[in-house]
Amino acid sequence: MSLASARIHEVDDDPLAAIDYCYAQGWTDGLPVVPPDVQRVEAMLLFEGRPPETVLAAHPATGLECTVHAAAVNAVMAGCKPEYLPVVVAALEAMNEPGFNFHGSTASTGGSAPLLVVSGPVIDDIGMNADVNLFGPGNRANATIGRAVRLILMNVFRMIPGVSDKSTQGNPGKFSFCIAERRAGNPWPLLVEDLDYPPGVSSVTVFAGGGFCNVENHGGNTPEMVLGSIADAMANYGCITLGQSVVVLSPEHVRVIAATGWSKQQVQEFLFSHAARTVEGMQSVGKYRQREYDKQHSDAGGSPLVEAGKMHRGLSPDDILVVMGGGDAGGHSSFIPSWSRGRGSIMQSKPIGVCIDCD
Amino acid sequence: MQLYDPTVTGPERNYARAAQLSSLEGKTIGLLENGKLNAVNMLRETAALFEQRHGCTVLPLFSKSNASAPAPSETIRAAADEVDFLLTGLGD
Repeated sequence: MSLASARIHEVDDDPLAAIDYCYAQGWTDGLPVVPPDVQRVEAMLLFEGRPPETVLAAHPATGLECTVHAAAVNAVMAGCKPEYLPVVVAALEAMNEPGFNFHGSTASTGGSAPLLVVSGPVIDDIGMNADVNLFGPGNRANATIGRAVRLILMNVFRMIPGVSDKSTQGNPGKFSFCIAERRAGNPWPLLVEDLDYPPGVSSVTVFAGGGFCNVENHGGNTPEMVLGSIADAMANYGCITLGQSVVVLSPEHVRVIAATGWSKQQVQEFLFSHAARTVEGMQSVGKYRQREYDKQHSDAGGSPLVEAGKMHRGLSPDDILVVMGGGDAGGHSSFIPSWSRGRGSIMQSKPIGVCIDCD
Repeated sequence: MQLYDPTVTGPERNYARAAQLSSLEGKTIGLLENGKLNAVNMLRETAALFEQRHGCTVLPLFSKSNASAPAPSETIRAAADEVDFLLTGLGD
């Protein structure tokens, strides 16, 4: 079903000319796009049950709205297959939650990119990659779903680099930043299970992430050794804040940790306890703020793991999302800091393709 | 070949500038700080110049908890009721 108000451009029947036309219109992220041919968009729309005029997300400042139709057009341009659309739609719905603050995180000098973490059976259904080269390149679904979100931010919400996206240095993840949680060999409940969605449902979690930090540790053979190196990366002076974190543990690191019977919650608690700097250290680099310390150490809401005289990363262990992903070989995990230095953006999750407890 | 336009058009909105003050003398100033590291210092320093040069009165700070999100409507309304003009800025 199409949208009566949609605007159509007539171009020559030449795909290469159509690609150039898209460039000329300013519709790209710098890479060539698939021309949003009417037939392709119509095929994409078959994978969303709601009418094409349904609004998925709205920009709080400009009032610009992303409809199902607009999402489908941009998903085609990103290179998505039609069956990827429900993931794009769910990601947009998650980003539309006020707590995510997609305007602030996109416009900021901080260079945030929305990291999408997909969990559940949809990963196999549409052929996403949770394995080798998790963050890319190489998998169409991962690459194009993440790219579709970026194109929507640019084309629908007019978050234009240099104009309304003022990122100081940008971020490669701003082209695409989408991963799948690995199920094979995963000893812990999946993220979608932690979110308490019904069996068979998949989820997408969006996180306004900063740059990707690889954590290499091939010598650690205890949870404390492996996680100690990750906690150290999380507490580096360049990015320690009260913001949230995403930690993607490689299968090799998970095997070391899980061999001792540690739960995911124990991992979170260890990381929170050890991703910390002294007050003096924070002062030495000009990053200490008394009210942040007070917020973290207040009796109301403060974590019992908070240590006097130290600034921890985040406010509690729950601020650290831990998932498993990547190839079997290699002691390489990753840490992605939040764009937000505090609570300016909180990660959000939505079920994919189903409506649970919605209006 | 027919291509759908990937952009959307925005809603019609009627914005207008506030009327210019005829004078700064003796006016009441509001300060809206955004929680950034140096915001309060910058705003107070700026307000002090208006106090010295124009005899302005500076009200207690208005604050917002999220620097990258719009101030809540009630904060803006409260400020509008009390001040002749408002100073704000990033302060990073």
